[in-house]
Amino acid sequence: MNNIIEINNLNKFYGDLHAVKDLSFCVKQGELFAFLGINGAGKSTTISIMCGTLSKNSGDVIIDGYNIENNLSEISKEIGVVFQNSVLDSSLSVRNNLYSRASLYGIYGQEATKRIETLSEILDFKNLLDRTVGKLSGGQRRRIDVARALIHNPKILVLDEPTTGLDPQTRKTLWKVIEDCRKNEKMTVFLTTHYMEEVVDADYVVILDDGKIVAEGTPLQLKNSYAGDYITVYGVELEKIEKLGFKYEKIRDAYRVEVENPKVARDLIIKYPEIFVDFEITKGKMDDVFLTVTGKKLVGGN
Amino acid sequence: MKTFIAITKRNIQLFFKDKGMFFSALITPIILLVLYTTFLGNVYHDSFVSALPEGFSISEKIINGTVGGQLCSSLLAVCCVTVAFCSNLLMVQDKTSGARKDFLVTPVKKSILSLSYYFASLITTLIISYIAVAASFIYIAFTGWFFTFGDCLLLLLDVFLVTMFGTAISSIINVFLSTNGQASAVGTIVSAGYGFICGAYMPISSFGSGLQKVLSFLPGTYGTSLIRNHSLKGVFRAMGKEGIPEEIVSSIKKSIDCNLSFFEKDVSIAGMYIILISSILILIGIYVLINLVKKGRE
Repeated sequence: MNNIIEINNLNKFYGDLHAVKDLSFCVKQGELFAFLGINGAGKSTTISIMCGTLSKNSGDVIIDGYNIENNLSEISKEIGVVFQNSVLDSSLSVRNNLYSRASLYGIYGQEATKRIETLSEILDFKNLLDRTVGKLSGGQRRRIDVARALIHNPKILVLDEPTTGLDPQTRKTLWKVIEDCRKNEKMTVFLTTHYMEEVVDADYVVILDDGKIVAEGTPLQLKNSYAGDYITVYGVELEKIEKLGFKYEKIRDAYRVEVENPKVARDLIIKYPEIFVDFEITKGKMDDVFLTVTGKKLVGGN
Repeated sequence: MKTFIAITKRNIQLFFKDKGMFFSALITPIILLVLYTTFLGNVYHDSFVSALPEGFSISEKIINGTVGGQLCSSLLAVCCVTVAFCSNLLMVQDKTSGARKDFLVTPVKKSILSLSYYFASLITTLIISYIAVAASFIYIAFTGWFFTFGDCLLLLLDVFLVTMFGTAISSIINVFLSTNGQASAVGTIVSAGYGFICGAYMPISSFGSGLQKVLSFLPGTYGTSLIRNHSLKGVFRAMGKEGIPEEIVSSIKKSIDCNLSFFEKDVSIAGMYIILISSILILIGIYVLINLVKKGRE
């Protein structure tokens, strides 16, 4: 797969504050790329630079082969953005909002009508087309935000914490649409989120802290490198668990023993078959990865 | 062009949908109309009668026509500018709501965006200004009508030009505002102050000579004078027909800013048009230039 986004040695200063520090990473075409970090880590600054709404101090940003320095207009045609907060006109109808936004990409008349019709079917908001955006619920509004970002059929969809505050059903619907777009249109999705369960499905994850990359890789690589495994043991006494000599945690009807990797787990089970009668092995979570590499907890996730 | 029309349409729709913005734009002309008809009208009437030389008598219709023309021209001169500031608030609201950010991630040119704000604001301000013109005509029809069809057309042209001027000024100022608080502070200052500096509340001729010289540098002064000239043209004709000497008519004209001078040199009506149109073109140029230089990037 080709790189659709290439960022090399990107730096951004706000006065004395060095917000983005020599950032370099690539995003492959068609992949779900997750960008993780607490508030102020530099995620939104990087996204704003990629979208051309913020200037950089140094470094290269190349999107779909175009350098942002000279080809911002071309890049804008290829990027759709779902912002953290809805930026649609709350006193206009959904239809009028989408028509006005479509015109910004040179989509008018029949072509715009057809595109809005298609998106309303995909995102299931046909019955909302003539409703005022300000009167929609959070979930309904978010669907319209996604429709607005997809209005020009972009190659890259940037999602800046798109599902924060949404109910599980709406999150599921949104992710289904985004997944469909990825598969059918080979769309690249650039995601920042607070929900770790959304990151688990990512193809590649970059964790940002204080403006620089502190870890990157596939979710599996990150879990293997930065989070241990867990053996949950059922129907066993405390003394036996203590005998193992590993860190453990008492949960409702079992003990969860923390081990470094699957090999240690396997050796332990072979060594103490009388203790491991009823058990399960689980991989560490992305929350653990995040905590290990940044020393911070990502607030807002599940 | 289609993009420009679509964004302009969106801006106009938002203005009329946003009741706060729409009513705050209407408030200035309504307050002025009430103020003039209930209070200032009598003041103007009395000062005009007392200013007439002894032994002169003018028909009550002419006096009322003069006062009515003076009131309405003042109202229109202020309305064209203050309403422009209110209708141009959308530019600031788009920054606070994030819509501006949404526009900047698209391939649309910054010059098209800035001109669409200008034209949308111009159209909405013109709609309200022409409603104010209609209200003024109705008021004058009851007090003393001396307008010819040509006077009406010239007045409409003046209102158009002063609105273009007001919209250009408000566009340049609003481009630097980023919060609703800043916008309402500027709106309040303009609503309170513009009427004084353009000679709408009090004739510039009643100010000290130093201040008169300073105000003669402001293009809005000539816009007010044009509106006043064409609002009162018919009345002055009628005065002439009633046998009032030209010198007296001329001194009345001077006292209510129909005749303006720039450093002792009289400015003709054509000169006023040239000043106003040139300043509109320069201001629009500056506005577009600011937007291009700002580039929407920090």
